[in-house]
Amino acid sequence: MKRLIQLTVNGQTRDVPVQPTRTLLDVVRDDLGLTGAKRGCDLGACGACTMLLDGRPVNACLVLAVEAEGAEIVTIEGIAAGGRLDPIQQAFVEHGAVQCGFCTPGLVLATKALLEATPEPCDTAMREALSGNLCRCTGYVKVFDAIRAAARRLREERTCPVTPS
Amino acid sequence: MATATIEYHAPDTVEAAVALLREHGAAARILAGGTDVVPALKYGVVGARHLVSLKRLGALRRLEVSADGDLVVGALVTLADLASSPVVRARWPVVAEAAGQAGSPLLRNRGTVGGNLCLDTRCWYFNQTEAWRASRPPCWKTAGDRCHVNEGENRCVALFSADTPPAFLVAGARVTLAGATAPPAGRTIPMEALYTGESLKPVALGESEVVTTVTVPAPPPRSAAVYLKHAVRDSLDFPVLGVAARVALAPDGTIADARVAVTGAGPAPLRLAEVEAAVHGRRAPAADDAAVARLTARTLGPLFLSDGVPHKRAMAGLMAAEALARAAAAAGEIR
Repeated sequence: MKRLIQLTVNGQTRDVPVQPTRTLLDVVRDDLGLTGAKRGCDLGACGACTMLLDGRPVNACLVLAVEAEGAEIVTIEGIAAGGRLDPIQQAFVEHGAVQCGFCTPGLVLATKALLEATPEPCDTAMREALSGNLCRCTGYVKVFDAIRAAARRLREERTCPVTPS
Repeated sequence: MATATIEYHAPDTVEAAVALLREHGAAARILAGGTDVVPALKYGVVGARHLVSLKRLGALRRLEVSADGDLVVGALVTLADLASSPVVRARWPVVAEAAGQAGSPLLRNRGTVGGNLCLDTRCWYFNQTEAWRASRPPCWKTAGDRCHVNEGENRCVALFSADTPPAFLVAGARVTLAGATAPPAGRTIPMEALYTGESLKPVALGESEVVTTVTVPAPPPRSAAVYLKHAVRDSLDFPVLGVAARVALAPDGTIADARVAVTGAGPAPLRLAEVEAAVHGRRAPAADDAAVARLTARTLGPLFLSDGVPHKRAMAGLMAAEALARAAAAAGEIR
């Protein structure tokens, strides 16, 4: 039996009719048309479907959409503001942290949660924070370079009043 | 998910949840974080027609120290919150360590303490897609009549592999369940009694029962505990073996109390009473103590290796000795 639920995705609340067994990932991709989050293993073992649920990265493939009602959901589509990439996205681009790109939305969102909780993470904290997100292309080295750069940029944005043009 | 007919319930009170479980009996399944149940639904190894979500039961999210000094953990506390809690890390570090090693950060943000305790047993032959399973006759766990791990076995031998139970067991945890009787009065049992020892139904919950709270007593003086996890990968993996040990030292430095518990070596997390008794009153064993290793290996029951790890018995012995030695060393540093 379908239920009408309210989902708040990237700040926008919508009424969505869903079967209770459909996952947040399925509903966001197939019904809301936000295909940034990827369907990888569909079992919580790869992190390609990562979304932020009330600020925390989760496997959207394991969250039933009905369970996400009332939560603030952020997908990769929701972090670029005013046509400008999020500093984390920008750093991923500049440091070649993207190869095939399938894991990238998940890595970026996991990084976002990390840097919000720990603005200056040590290498161990970075590895730990991304240990639920598999990348089979990069070997992670450039991903970690990008995270360090993003952390630096965010620090500058916090401390320097001048907006770079 | 071939489960379009599932009905979803999100009751507001524990009483209402228990009533739903009672009403729907075996057709109902409790949904907490969903990290174990949702994959099982996708695989079609769980045939629930009713999901009873606990998400609205805010009372089950408490994490606090009681007036008696016990740690009180609601069943819906996430593994991430348990692992990062300053008071848990300071006073029950073994619990935080074990919680922090389960799954991945993403899974720990959803996975709950109650769900980890009630994790279903696992096996190569049924934690698979329906298409994969269709290539052979159904096994005991999927309503069939055989075991593919050990042909001829007249029961399921799937393994229990949650990370937190060994840590909770050595810490002396008790589990409170609601719903045993009508009206839903609670009952509190030692954690050992939560497990049946049967792979088919590993957790001793009545049909209408739900775990509400885990209570962990303050550790004894001059004691320390550790959890060692052996897994194929450092993240995103169940333990091949997990061993927790807690050692309390007497004033003369001998072992006043020792506890050892293992996960991944049977249908339930196990306390190793013989090993505990053998080291009692003695000096701490060395990390490579062969006698402890041999005794541990011997006391484990039959190992059916449904995860295909032939060195598991020997590994358990080595890990038990190391866990005891490390716990004793840490306890010895307490003055």
